[in-house]
Amino acid sequence: MKKRILEHFKNRKDKEETIPKNNSGIISHSVFNKFFLEVASITIFTLRFFKEAIKPPYEINELMKQSFLIGFKSLSLVAVTSFILGLVLTVQSRPTLAKFGAESMLPVMVAVSIIREIGPVIIALIFAGKVGSGIGAELASMNVTEQIDAMQVSHTNPFNYLVVTRVISATFMLPLLVIFGDTIGLLGSYVAVNIKGNVSFSLFFSQIFQSLEFMDVFPAILKTFFFGFAIGLIGCYNGYYANKGTEGVVGKAANSAVVYASLMVFVIDMMAVQILTLFQN
Amino acid sequence: MKKNTTNKIRLGIFVSFGIAILIVGLYFIGEKQQMFSDTFHISGIFKDVADLQVGSNVRFLGINVGTVENINIVSDSSVSVEILIDEDTQKYIKKDAIASIGSEGLMGNKILLINTGPGREKEMENNDIIKTTPPINIDEVLLSLKTTIDNTSSITKDLALISNRIQSGKGTIGMLLMDESLAQDFNTGLHNLSEGSAGLKNLMEDAQISFDKNFDSTLVNLRESSEGFKILMDKAKSSWLLWGF
Repeated sequence: MKKRILEHFKNRKDKEETIPKNNSGIISHSVFNKFFLEVASITIFTLRFFKEAIKPPYEINELMKQSFLIGFKSLSLVAVTSFILGLVLTVQSRPTLAKFGAESMLPVMVAVSIIREIGPVIIALIFAGKVGSGIGAELASMNVTEQIDAMQVSHTNPFNYLVVTRVISATFMLPLLVIFGDTIGLLGSYVAVNIKGNVSFSLFFSQIFQSLEFMDVFPAILKTFFFGFAIGLIGCYNGYYANKGTEGVVGKAANSAVVYASLMVFVIDMMAVQILTLFQN
Repeated sequence: MKKNTTNKIRLGIFVSFGIAILIVGLYFIGEKQQMFSDTFHISGIFKDVADLQVGSNVRFLGINVGTVENINIVSDSSVSVEILIDEDTQKYIKKDAIASIGSEGLMGNKILLINTGPGREKEMENNDIIKTTPPINIDEVLLSLKTTIDNTSSITKDLALISNRIQSGKGTIGMLLMDESLAQDFNTGLHNLSEGSAGLKNLMEDAQISFDKNFDSTLVNLRESSEGFKILMDKAKSSWLLWGF
């Protein structure tokens, strides 16, 4: 079985070309087999990650480098997006709240929205677009140009060096980016509130901290670790097992990484909400 | 190598700032919930907590001074609410203070209000039990409102009936307002009264003139007779028959 799965890694082809159909047009059982093989291969890839992550040697320098590239280099993009997000959310929410005479609730509403849900999810999607695709394309091009094979030949563990460092970096950098993004988003909201109104900086943040609870912040930050892990892992998986010799393999790996990572962000978010609701009740 | 070190420093700053923002944020959230300040503990017994929840704010003189720590059912008709209050406000909350349950705005969350009591008692101590007043029950308010609406409905029904009766000329007020012959009689009466009063006025004027004339002649006669009497008296005084008087 393991051999079959490993064979599956090596012989991944374009999905659209390989979807077999029988005469009646109904997708045959092999599609389901293929799906479950894919699930199995991702599971084995994840388990291998944990196995390699705890096993020395630890690539600290590469980890630092990747953390810098994945975290610090994404900060400007996240900052701009978050500022606009906070500003737009406030401007759009104002008329609805004004109808009920509840404009004073604007900072509280925007803060809870950004910190609980919109901040983590939007920043994770941006992260998936930038970092997930970058990792996928980078590893795919290394795979195509046989650099990964060369590393194996030179007795360097490519999985440890390439995959483990990137996944750990993505896991720990995304929560930091979300913290920065949330803060900048709230500053954007403060600017938007003061476009039409006149609320002091201290009153704005006092209202926000008054309304927030630990249960708003902790689950939101905690789920971003899972978002980061999923984005890093899916990016690495798509790049690491990209088909050699296929035309446009790098682009396809990058594209798949973004699509599946974005999808996983929503799936994890939904699970997080369900688990949180369970605990709150 | 130098670039690598610079990148590591940048990464260090990035991570440090991120963690610092998180810590500061959590500190402010915790501080608002009195997590990092000294507190004292009191409790109150309510019949009904009206959806007050653990973590709800406690307000004294319009300022948030604490949070609800715990809510437990004590018996089938009483609920114990344990309250954590900032120690700095302990000296202002006296033993006769009264706790009640209110809400933040019209549709806001429930909060616990501590109102100053009537007298000048000692300050509240740790683990004291605060007096309480039952919260305003929305169901009771609605029930009372329903009774009022029912009464109003009954009154308006009666008013409509009275209005109909008046309009159809029934009853004293109806006849008075709706019967045209009565109005004509009334008009005639008024006209007669007006004429009568005019005649009376003329009569009075005539009487006045007659009285004035008679009164004048009476006065003239009276003056003439008094003058004659005076002459008579003077003559009598000088007569010898009345000497000695």
